Amino acid sequence: MSNQSNSNQVKTSIRVLQGIILFGFIVMIIRVFQLQIIDYETYSPISMQNSLRMEVLQPARGLILDRNGTILVENQPIYSITITPSKFQMDKLPLLSQILQIDEEIVQERIRAAQAYSWQRTSRLFTEVPFEVFSAIQENAWQLPGISHQLESKRHYPTAVQAPHIFGYLREASPEEYRADERIRLGDRIGKSGLERSYENFLRGEIGTEYVRVNAFGQSLGTYEGAGLNVTPIRGADLITSIDAETQALAEKIMAGKRGGLVAMDPQTGGVIAMVSAPQYDLSKLAGRMDADYWRSLNTDPNTPLYNRAISSRQPPGSTFKPFMGLVGIEMGLVTPQTQIYNPGFYLRGRRYNDLADPGYYDLELAIAKSSNTYFFWIMDRIASRGRLNEWAELINDFGIGPLNNIDLPAERSGIIPDSTYMNRTFGERRWGIGDLMSLGIGQGMVSASPLQMAVATSTLANGGYKVQPHVVSGIRNGDGSIDYTQPVLEKISWVRDEDVETLKKGMFRVITEGGARWRSLIPGIDMAGKTGTSQNPHGENHGWFIAYAPMDNPQIAIAVLTENTGFGSQSAAPIASLIIEQYLTGEVNRQHVLDYVLYDFPGQLISITQETDD
Amino acid sequence: MNDKREFSWSVIFIWIGLFSIGLVAIYSATQGPVAEFLPSYILDNFTRQVTWIAISIVVLIGIQFVSPRTFQEGAYIFYGIGLILMVITIFFGVEVSGSRSWLRVGPFNVQVGEVMKAATILAAASYLTSRRNVSAENLKTALVTVVIFLVPVILLLAQNEAGVGIVYLGLLPVVLFWSGLPYGISLLMISPALIGYFTVLDVRLGIITALVITIFIFFLQRRKWLTVTSLVFGALVIIGAEVALHQVLQPHQRARIEAFANPSLDPLGSGWNVIQAKTAIGSGGLHGKGFMEGTQTQLRFLPEQWTDFIFCVVGEEFGFIGAGIMLVLYTLLFMRLLHMASTHKHPFAQLVIISVTFLYFVHFVINIGSATALLPIIGIPLPFISYGGSAFLTNTIMLAICLNLDFNKRSLSIYR
Repeated sequence: MSNQSNSNQVKTSIRVLQGIILFGFIVMIIRVFQLQIIDYETYSPISMQNSLRMEVLQPARGLILDRNGTILVENQPIYSITITPSKFQMDKLPLLSQILQIDEEIVQERIRAAQAYSWQRTSRLFTEVPFEVFSAIQENAWQLPGISHQLESKRHYPTAVQAPHIFGYLREASPEEYRADERIRLGDRIGKSGLERSYENFLRGEIGTEYVRVNAFGQSLGTYEGAGLNVTPIRGADLITSIDAETQALAEKIMAGKRGGLVAMDPQTGGVIAMVSAPQYDLSKLAGRMDADYWRSLNTDPNTPLYNRAISSRQPPGSTFKPFMGLVGIEMGLVTPQTQIYNPGFYLRGRRYNDLADPGYYDLELAIAKSSNTYFFWIMDRIASRGRLNEWAELINDFGIGPLNNIDLPAERSGIIPDSTYMNRTFGERRWGIGDLMSLGIGQGMVSASPLQMAVATSTLANGGYKVQPHVVSGIRNGDGSIDYTQPVLEKISWVRDEDVETLKKGMFRVITEGGARWRSLIPGIDMAGKTGTSQNPHGENHGWFIAYAPMDNPQIAIAVLTENTGFGSQSAAPIASLIIEQYLTGEVNRQHVLDYVLYDFPGQLISITQETDD
Repeated sequence: MNDKREFSWSVIFIWIGLFSIGLVAIYSATQGPVAEFLPSYILDNFTRQVTWIAISIVVLIGIQFVSPRTFQEGAYIFYGIGLILMVITIFFGVEVSGSRSWLRVGPFNVQVGEVMKAATILAAASYLTSRRNVSAENLKTALVTVVIFLVPVILLLAQNEAGVGIVYLGLLPVVLFWSGLPYGISLLMISPALIGYFTVLDVRLGIITALVITIFIFFLQRRKWLTVTSLVFGALVIIGAEVALHQVLQPHQRARIEAFANPSLDPLGSGWNVIQAKTAIGSGGLHGKGFMEGTQTQLRFLPEQWTDFIFCVVGEEFGFIGAGIMLVLYTLLFMRLLHMASTHKHPFAQLVIISVTFLYFVHFVINIGSATALLPIIGIPLPFISYGGSAFLTNTIMLAICLNLDFNKRSLSIYR
């Protein structure tokens, strides 16, 4: 081959090789251009997400305080260990188990559960681990990829006040709940009952976000301050309630082991001082890691501890209904405070209605003081006979008995004050008569109310005819310290006259000083107006009722107590109410014998009394 | 032709530029904030690289004083010594992460497979220039050349260093092509790589590639038997690749190839490296995140970021500008070397320079191709930039030989 042709061949071959290299360069530069310039918007966020992890900062849930500023519900830190299954290496299981001080099999089981939930998402492996375990995990994080830790909080109840029916419990939000409200995230615990539920939006606060730098192993390298992405969480607002911690604690102590409900409120504002539904349940067992067995037992307990009797039960109010009957009777023009009605020991209307009060003439004051049935049968007879049932029902409703009072707690139930519509629905059109209505006059039969309704009605007697708006929360303290107070609503019931209320007060004072309740309900130094009641119970022992307010000249507390299956209210509900009033007004209980009676002798004395009417 | 003795300083400047980029990238990849996640022996990589560069500078200068004839005359001896060292390595080498490819020499661990590249190039060049040109009719010379290349490849496979072996195979067609192997046959030689590549992406693409190559071969050579061979060969490669992909390959190898074709299938497993590498480069944008500021690099999202994935470090921290400068420097180097070859009159020197150029080029394409997900991930370093003393030294020795041959154009010409 000649020099010339060789030289040409070299030139051609060099061209080919140059072409190959140039082609390589062009492919590479285009590829790099594509990645870095065209797809920059794609990859930049990925690298951002890679190296930054958004962590949700849970806001501290608002506190719940009593009227004196005592903290009743607060938060307690709990330590959780979390796992991201995709990043966890199974060969680290023995080490993890050793640090957690939990059997390998149990740990493995939990990891499987987390895997089943999601490989990518972080889920809780163990919650409420001891602090030592928490810090050991922290120290060893570098050799446990995928394992992390989390500081969480649970509700804690620092005082003797349990009040599960007031505070309520938290549970993980259901899918419907977190889908409906964008502020709720999967796994968030939200209020499911009580104040926790009705004030959920205030208590929750606003979550913050923090961007944390992480490496490829998911280890946290500290906060990322750049770009101003971090949002500080806003703590939840505190609830300042009208609850008096000591009174509430005493009420709970007294009601322990009983069934029933009580509501004590400030008759001037409607603020609830104490509210108990017995039996109660232990909120602390439902806080944090829920005790599943306990939860199951609550749901199957025949005493229905989850049911809030104080605002949801429906029981005939018995004779505690009489003061309101009296006022309605006057307004309807059937009686005057001076009207005297003769009681021969019974009332006849189609049949004989017994009256245990001594025979003789009764005016309103005496009828209340001695709880004469005849007086009120007489009124009811006229209402029923003249077809004024609906008028009667409306007037009774004005006291808050019957309709919902819209207290700031969930699950309140209305009572029953039958009107013609109700009667038609229950018995059928024209299939009911006067005989079905007579017992309404003494608060029996179809009339039924909750302790809350009776407390609201009692407040009206106490404050001279004003209807109050019952509430538990009297103020909301915002994160910045400002407090929004609930404005008490006092609505004068136009037709209630002061002198009639005065008459009732006298009668109700005599209930305490002369009636069967006097032995255990008189509080030395405090004038109290009250009325006992016994709710007829066709299914068993009668229920005891008592309503009262005190002090008489300047009422500060109005109370309604219902004790189920305890017979006469004078022997059951009345002493309880007197103790609560004493505690609230004097700050202590001096009548140890009454307390002992209520705590220890109470149930034994109240068995097997069957009576058609009351004391 | 310019016969004046002239040292090619531009090549030296490009060389300095490349290893400077390398030092900056290695520094960032091992001494930056990432250092806290790295085992301690990695932390010394930067100082070790500086040491190797210093040694290499001495060697580069030293080689300039060697007679150019030595390279041709000693080629077989170097090759022989290299093979012996390779065999020794298989039995007495230091095992590092599964491959026994390191030989302990005093204080240094030397990767014999790297040094062997230089010896192989010299041996092949020497052999080919001592024969008549390779032609389609006389393939014996070509076959011997193939053997010269295949022996070290087999030894590398024995050392479990398949990646390095691929470089040899990539170089072979270029060497043969330069030595006169007809275009059609050269194309046929690289066709398995092309067809295989596209078959992995999609069987249909593989078939199209095979057909296109066959048509090209037909028009280039116009020989029926060659065209038929090409067609049969292409079909075999496609079937072979499919069978290998689904039957023969170990699961982890298959996972790697599948991850290349579709990384999102298993983003945390085999697709991880591909995704993280692309993310590192892509998130660099135009001017990058800044020196030691790359989150992918510094937070340890990249595997082997001081060697196989060093391009990601450059791309992430210095952006398109940095990566572009690097690509341009390489291309200038290749072009410069090709120019050297084309102006040389001695076929041995030409072949050596061409081989060295394409050895770099194959590294360049595979490394950056892997990092940018154009190719399946094959772990080989980027010449002059990646950490690795043996590779740097070998690459420098080869560059030094090219410079020597270029500088001594005339003295070599006499022996033509």
